[in-house]
Amino acid sequence: MTFEIDYLALAPELVVAGTIIAALLLDLFLTRSKKYWVAVLSVVGVAGGLVPIVYMLAEGGTRSMFDGSYVVDEFALILKIVFLVSGYLVLLMSVSYIEADRYYQGEYYFLLLSSILGSLVMSSSRDLIVLFIGLELTTGPLFLLAGWRKGDAKSNEASLKFFILGVLSTAILLYGMSLLFGLTGSVEFTAIAAAIPDLVSEPALALSVLFLIVGFAFKASAVPFHFWAPDTYEGAPTPVAAYLSVNSKAAGFVAMLIVMYTALPGISEVWAPALWVLAALSMTVGNLSALRQGNIVRLLAYSSIAQAGFMLVPFAAAAVAGSDLAQAFSATVVYLVIYALMNLGAFAVVIAGARRTGSGDIDDWAGLGQKDPVLGLLTALFFLSLAGIPPLAGWYAKFVMFASVIEAGGISTLVLAAIAAVNSVIAFYYYARVIKAVWLDTPSEELLARPGREYAGSIKLTLAISMGLTIAIGIYPTFATYFGEASRVIATGGG
Amino acid sequence: MTVDAWIAEPVNWVFSIVAVVILFTAVRVVTSPNVVHAALYLVAALAGSAVMFLLLSAEFVALVLVLVYIGAVLVLFLFGIMITRAPTGFDEGLSNDRKLVSAAISLVLLGVLSWASLSAFGTDTVNTVGSPTATEILGDAILGRFVIPFEVVSFILLSALIGGITVARRDLTPLEEEERKAV
Amino acid sequence: MTYFESYLTVGAFIALGALLVGVVLVLARALAPSNPSAEKLSTYECGVDPVGSGWSQTYVRYYLYGLLFVIFDIEAVFIFPWAIQLESLGMFGLIEMLVFIGILVLGLVYAIRKGVLRWE
Repeated sequence: MTFEIDYLALAPELVVAGTIIAALLLDLFLTRSKKYWVAVLSVVGVAGGLVPIVYMLAEGGTRSMFDGSYVVDEFALILKIVFLVSGYLVLLMSVSYIEADRYYQGEYYFLLLSSILGSLVMSSSRDLIVLFIGLELTTGPLFLLAGWRKGDAKSNEASLKFFILGVLSTAILLYGMSLLFGLTGSVEFTAIAAAIPDLVSEPALALSVLFLIVGFAFKASAVPFHFWAPDTYEGAPTPVAAYLSVNSKAAGFVAMLIVMYTALPGISEVWAPALWVLAALSMTVGNLSALRQGNIVRLLAYSSIAQAGFMLVPFAAAAVAGSDLAQAFSATVVYLVIYALMNLGAFAVVIAGARRTGSGDIDDWAGLGQKDPVLGLLTALFFLSLAGIPPLAGWYAKFVMFASVIEAGGISTLVLAAIAAVNSVIAFYYYARVIKAVWLDTPSEELLARPGREYAGSIKLTLAISMGLTIAIGIYPTFATYFGEASRVIATGGG
Repeated sequence: MTVDAWIAEPVNWVFSIVAVVILFTAVRVVTSPNVVHAALYLVAALAGSAVMFLLLSAEFVALVLVLVYIGAVLVLFLFGIMITRAPTGFDEGLSNDRKLVSAAISLVLLGVLSWASLSAFGTDTVNTVGSPTATEILGDAILGRFVIPFEVVSFILLSALIGGITVARRDLTPLEEEERKAV
Repeated sequence: MTYFESYLTVGAFIALGALLVGVVLVLARALAPSNPSAEKLSTYECGVDPVGSGWSQTYVRYYLYGLLFVIFDIEAVFIFPWAIQLESLGMFGLIEMLVFIGILVLGLVYAIRKGVLRWE
């Protein structure tokens, strides 16, 4: 049996794969002082991957390969844009960070690009095997990247915790997948969905669904599977932490939603309450823990756990209420897009701020606004956006979330909405604490005495892009809505 | 199936013996006080699983189990143990005071999984026994329908290789780098 | 010959192998004189007096070879099903397999070029 391969549909993956190989070869033949060319190549390659995506979006339509196990529809394309753009930003913010220390630069870019390739493959998967392999390529390199600062015990701890829990979650995920395959006799999502109605009473099916949720929730670091996240974010190099908090979290998240939406809609009575609990716990535990953090990276780690909870809200609410999942799907994607931008901006601020103050402790950031007003303003901008203050993009994410919950209706959804509302207020408190430290607290002598070094162009560019998009989406939300609408098209037609 | 019919079938005998061996060695992997011994028990457990796959007529999977897990992964395990512990093998703290809780949880999980699996698959008959799955089917699947994950696997392996080397290798001093014109 | 009968040969080989080892061990025990002394019982290490314990730590560089071995072992596993279907998969299969192997060979090139395989 032969299968047609649509090379245009695979073009983004092929471009990134080619970049990976070129980066590896380039690394082999460059001396240390010229390593930045690997970074240049990676950045250009990832941007190049966007070209065929834009072309396909303009052309429209769905491209399906291999019996529908690999689908490139608008939903997949939108996700690919999210993964490529956030990967692009992480690459940019890595340049000066990785160059500054004696890291293995070539290998670093190679692994990061591999992870991006994995998430591209995962976005198109409509099949358990493709999904699993894509997800593994997304997270596998990150185990190693988290431990990139080999001499630092914290980085080793980060890598080890992430690896052990990550592998455990993979095992659970695989067990769930094998049960699902054993029951339905198929790895394709559409075939699984078709086989589900006859199996609803089977305890093994419920078990396999729960295993899948546990596996994905680990990757998305949703409570109660979040224990690795704060330690790993803190110990890993900061750009890697940024990548973990956006791309790898989104990958786990998206994988979960794709499977639930396309393969398991017939058994939503099992996973809907589970997602409801995950959302409520993630928001509450993430926010309450974030209140007590003194380290800015740990604060962002807990905040990203909480944000994952917010992201789950529309989908969980709609599933519990039994209302239109497509609507919830688009709300979640909008939230994801906006979260990715503002969270990457916040991490870029952390990198710049840590350079300026020499510390990751919020107390040491006191008075940063006086020392460096531009950085102070950017800190305020991204943290206010994370808190959901208009006219920054974050408000629109929260607005879409609440709107979709209210649309879903029902008591349990309203309870979830109430939990989300209380949590938004709590979140505002700790985001504001950082802004207060930066602008209202008096700077220490030490900070004022530090030499004001110029930032690298790459980190400025990262900040500029994420700032521009955060403001633009906040003022002109239709832009983000486009993503949401397109993802709705997908959700119904593509699956 | 009656008891007589069960006894008359030699496959059942092989299955029972191998199952007991796997159970015993698997328990020993966890309870053995010496990590090296635990790794060797794992060899036996995996070999037993390979026989199980043979009984199910999945020859290729059985051979992969022997080739990759017993042949390669276990070697890596042993290397891993040997480079991290000195003297190797005699560890006091391999189990902690929560082992009873862990055992209880494991038993509950075993019960739940067995119940669910029996309910789902208990009445199924394996109709491949005695007629081996042709490896040709696998070849067609890997290079046909699953060619994308197949090629992606090479990237997973490559990133594991390069990342593993980077993390495990000794960092060169600046002087050594200079000498070697290291890249 | 049915599937299980063909594996009887494998079983017979295993049994014969075990028997052979057993017989040799028993014979050695029965025939050889036993007169142990401290020197005879010490581990033979190329004629030099053994130093330290046998359970000693080894160098991390062995691990790198182990890692390379595992990766290429897994690669080999994927080659078997392809080799069986070589003819019917044809040119397309060959190219796919060459891409797969090529990507992994890059890892080997990397290891050599970076001096990881240099024994020091």
